Amino acid sequence: MRAASLIVIVAVALPFLLGPFWAYQLGLYALYAAAAVGVGLCWGHAGFLPLGQGLFFGLAAYLSGLTFIAFADLPIIAVLAMPIFAVASALLAYAIGVLVFRRRGESGPYFSMITLALSLLAFQIATSWNSVTGGFNGLKGIPGLPGLNDFSDVYYVSAAMLLAVLAIAGWLYTAPVGVLWRALAQNERRVQLFGFDTNQLKAVAFGVSGLMAGIGGVVYAPQQGIVTPQAVGFGVSADLVIWTAVGGRANLLGPVIGTLLVGSLTAQLRDTLPFWEVLMAIFFIVIVLAFPRGIVGLADPLASFLKGRRKQAHVAAPKRLSSDQPARLVLNGVGVRAGEFTILDRLSLDFDPTGIFCVIGPNGAGKTSMFNAVSGELATVTGSIDLGDASVSGLTPHRVTRLGVARKLQIPSVFQHLSIADNLAIALWSGRARKLQLLDPRLRRWTTPMLEDLQKRYPFLASVERKAGELSHGEQQILELAMALLTEPRVLLLDEPCAGLSPEETTAVIGIVRWAAQRLGGAIIVIEHDMSLVKELAEVVYVLHNGTLLAKGSVAAIQADAAVRAVYVGGEK
Amino acid sequence: MDPLIVTQAINLVYAVSTLAVLALGLAVIFGLLGVLNIAHGEFIMIGAYCAYVTQSGHWPYLAAVPLTLIVCGILGWAVEWIMIRPLYRRPFDTLVATWGLSLLLRKIAEAIFGLGFYSVNIPLPGTVHFLDTEYPIYRLLLIAVSLLIVVGLVIWYGGSRTGSRIRAMVSNPDLAQAQGISVRRLAAGTFIVGTCLAGLGGVMLAPLIPVQPFMGLDYVLRAFFVLIVGGLGSVSGLLSGAAVIGGVDSIISATSSATDGYFAVLVLSILFLWLRPRGIVARS
Amino acid sequence: MSIRKQGPTRRTLLGAAAAGAAFGTMPGLIRPAAAANEFKIGLFIALSGPASLFGPTQRACAELATEEINKAGGILGRQIKLIPTDAGGPPAETTKSAIRLMLEENVDVFVGSHDSATREALVGTIKGKVPYVYTPVYEGGECSFNTYVTADTPEQQIRPSLTWMMKDKGAKSIYMIGDDYVWPRKCNEQAKKYIAENGGKVAAEEYVPFGAPNKFEEVVTRIKSAKPDAVLITLVGADNVNFNRTFAGFGLDKDIARLSLLLEENTLHGVGADSSKNLYSCMSYYENAPSAAAKKFKADYMAKFGDKAPQLGRIGADCYEGVYCASTLVTKAGGTDAKKCMAASEGITFPTASGDVTMHGRHVDKTMFLADCNGTEFNIIKTFADIKSGDECKA
Repeated sequence: MRAASLIVIVAVALPFLLGPFWAYQLGLYALYAAAAVGVGLCWGHAGFLPLGQGLFFGLAAYLSGLTFIAFADLPIIAVLAMPIFAVASALLAYAIGVLVFRRRGESGPYFSMITLALSLLAFQIATSWNSVTGGFNGLKGIPGLPGLNDFSDVYYVSAAMLLAVLAIAGWLYTAPVGVLWRALAQNERRVQLFGFDTNQLKAVAFGVSGLMAGIGGVVYAPQQGIVTPQAVGFGVSADLVIWTAVGGRANLLGPVIGTLLVGSLTAQLRDTLPFWEVLMAIFFIVIVLAFPRGIVGLADPLASFLKGRRKQAHVAAPKRLSSDQPARLVLNGVGVRAGEFTILDRLSLDFDPTGIFCVIGPNGAGKTSMFNAVSGELATVTGSIDLGDASVSGLTPHRVTRLGVARKLQIPSVFQHLSIADNLAIALWSGRARKLQLLDPRLRRWTTPMLEDLQKRYPFLASVERKAGELSHGEQQILELAMALLTEPRVLLLDEPCAGLSPEETTAVIGIVRWAAQRLGGAIIVIEHDMSLVKELAEVVYVLHNGTLLAKGSVAAIQADAAVRAVYVGGEK
Repeated sequence: MDPLIVTQAINLVYAVSTLAVLALGLAVIFGLLGVLNIAHGEFIMIGAYCAYVTQSGHWPYLAAVPLTLIVCGILGWAVEWIMIRPLYRRPFDTLVATWGLSLLLRKIAEAIFGLGFYSVNIPLPGTVHFLDTEYPIYRLLLIAVSLLIVVGLVIWYGGSRTGSRIRAMVSNPDLAQAQGISVRRLAAGTFIVGTCLAGLGGVMLAPLIPVQPFMGLDYVLRAFFVLIVGGLGSVSGLLSGAAVIGGVDSIISATSSATDGYFAVLVLSILFLWLRPRGIVARS
Repeated sequence: MSIRKQGPTRRTLLGAAAAGAAFGTMPGLIRPAAAANEFKIGLFIALSGPASLFGPTQRACAELATEEINKAGGILGRQIKLIPTDAGGPPAETTKSAIRLMLEENVDVFVGSHDSATREALVGTIKGKVPYVYTPVYEGGECSFNTYVTADTPEQQIRPSLTWMMKDKGAKSIYMIGDDYVWPRKCNEQAKKYIAENGGKVAAEEYVPFGAPNKFEEVVTRIKSAKPDAVLITLVGADNVNFNRTFAGFGLDKDIARLSLLLEENTLHGVGADSSKNLYSCMSYYENAPSAAAKKFKADYMAKFGDKAPQLGRIGADCYEGVYCASTLVTKAGGTDAKKCMAASEGITFPTASGDVTMHGRHVDKTMFLADCNGTEFNIIKTFADIKSGDECKA
């Protein structure tokens, strides 16, 4: 709050400090800064780079301009229409996000190229559609905002818009949705495996960025009096990315600082310093190579900004949204192929609703693939997978998770750059938080009795400051295990939970698994190589080989089985 | 046959083959190294300026080829070492960094040569009677050279040991390194090959276009669209991408208007990016 | 105030202090020391972007005019200070510069040599508060308050040249190719009138997208098949060069004449000697224009700038006349008051790089030169004296 009030005071005082021209100039750049915050949201938080924000900025500007011209006698209508156009940009961005992310799944450079191409297309349309947009010369003669005469008056409107955008961004960054964005930027698959529809999350991020660009655009038109195709094309889109990069994309204020400093300096110095643009080019390269956190990274106020929140009291989390009755996991003749290779070969497995089960088999037997098929990450060609009454085959991973399936992956996949508390919070939200609740920052204070028990056992889980990446390998395994447990699943899939652990750590994990089996009352399925562990834990052992079930039974029975022995010793291929 | 149609057909082949060669450098770098080199167009520009310099020095036109290879080679090596190597796992950062590089290269070209247009004289001027119509000799030559380059690269990549090493590096860099393949040197070499191919494209095209610092931007976009539509990682992908983009643009420009041709290319690229991002010839 | 860790606080303060210092000194850095009663001319030229190749010569020609006028006593006793400002970027950037010049520099007059989109944006921003002289080549129709046009108009460029081409060279069917924006479209509109007047016909009217990477093989092939007598080209910059080279590459220059409306020395250099046969241009100034005034202008220019003199051409020489127009106007009006300037503008005569011109209806009548291309040099073959602008403003 302290920082926020400081920002507001500075914003109000600037025109008096700097004079009317700077007020005008900053008034324009504040609008670009609003759009840049959107770029920072997508790129610095949600992990994908939009290269065509001009599309939303310019679209809103054209719509606003046309309305101001049409209602020149009654400008109040145009003013009322402004938020509608900003929302229109947001909806367009959301729609594009949904369409693109659903198909593609990853947000990689392909998404960036699509946004770039759309911005180029918009530029062409704006240039060609003379009758509506005024073509290359632009839409001219847009009347100004009513009641504002002075150049510096407009500054206050722009500054207010920028502050509104910053408030929205600040709120979203501290809300669960912001944590989820940062998580999916690091490891999207993991977020899906906690039951969140990452495609929708990314589309929402893109939609919000469209809103921010739209807010900038609707004020741009009456402020400038003219909207040209440049407002919608690649030039402004690229500038926004560069200003965001230089200012610091992961920071709330980074894009603003980048835009105001770099943008306005460029405009100012371009006329006086002939090699300004060469310097800027070298500057960008250096920033990207050496200072990925941008100008703001050099000062680092965000850490202190967010620190205040942690001291607040915890809130009890609600119950899971879906059923917690134990259920029987059944694979029926499941076949999975990848190209020519058969990964799972008519595999049929039947797990009791409660108990600890181990799945063993030589390398390449298909154990992890079986887990992937259950989670919905591998498409089954034949057969079906059921969890209780519900059919699971063909569902997307986040839906499968919501039915009560949790996974601990082979390689510890905690969110390295998030704090331990945020990691655990994500696990708590999984299956408990409704979509709209993700906008509520209070959710970050959720706790459950199980979490408190785990934190008593492992005090490092109660740490508020440390990032998950600072933990040792063993601690990360435990953190991830804890996260899986916190979702209180009906079926818990553990993939080699003791890989790389010391003997003491292994004993600890065994202890947790037993404790979890009692606490949760569901089924725990463990893939393991270490037979001593299997002996300790398993009630029933399943042996996989070449993608199919070779044997099933108690530990002793399996050890006596000739076929199993042959496979392990290397007799049969 | 109606000479108009014949001429337009040759135009189409010309468009497709030059597009393939121009996209080749980018295909090598993007397809094999996964690096988005936005400065690709500037390497084409460097090639074109090398051709201009060769002409001003009154050397034979072919002297531009070794000149370009030296300049683009050294520059490519320096860029890979300083800028690309640290950023291999950060695709968006390579995008921004190479954007900065393209700005820098443009400004340097501006400082050396100024902002005006230069024209490079066509080494083989005049037209020849070909398939019922008069067609410029040099353009026909370019078609042949482009196809030769593409075919030559395919054979070399498929047959040679370096080619198989590159394939190993692409599919599993860690394993390749473990096998004793110097991944770093191979990656650097691949990048340099990409930049040199771009430079060569510039040399080939210089007599036909205005040579000025901004010329690169146009080609980068087209090259990307070719790769998107055609698919990365295979020559058949490159050729099909060039065929589709070049073909659509050419046909629609011929029948309707150039603006519509450009629109069609944009819309087509967006559709491919959206619906079939792996392109026509998807690498498995 | 809660206790925070030492590190970030100190750094934050340092960062804030640095930013504050930077911001505080910024206006001081930018606002230059005001010299005694200078007459400030805001000169809008292309210092960046694709048109920036004209920047050096635009500035040089303006400086030449400034020096001459200052030697003769300046404007109303005040020495001119030229403030070159970039107009090569998006119009929104240029309008910002205009506002800065008005608010911080209290500029007295604007002179602009840039595209129409920027002009219209500037007109909307300046709102007639300061006299604004527009100088290069344009499509006609600018009659905004306190705005004065010395630019070549379609009536001046197209009518004499096209008529010559149709009468003297016997061209009957004309193919029109241009970039898709206002100037080419308006020019072609006018051209169609003159074609009809001379009993010719339009073979086709084609546009290519402006700002897109264009190639011209298909267009040239269509022209080849249409077999017109002449091509009227309203392409700009790189498109102009590209088209002409492709055209000649296909061998069409043998039989078909080309008239390009924005072909000046730099572009011709780009087109190259191998593609400039049968290519014509018509503007109010060329480096080797035959008039005595043009020769003197060139001599003075070379004397001032020596070996490093930027290439002379219409875009550049227009700034020379722009400064003189402003000077003459303000001198006659006794100041920069808008109404007085508007009234004074009628009938003023001032020098341009190729001779004196007179202003009527805030446009000027000009002597136009028709040039054909000899390698990469222009060769003036006809002079059309005193062509009216055809765009005289009513009030």
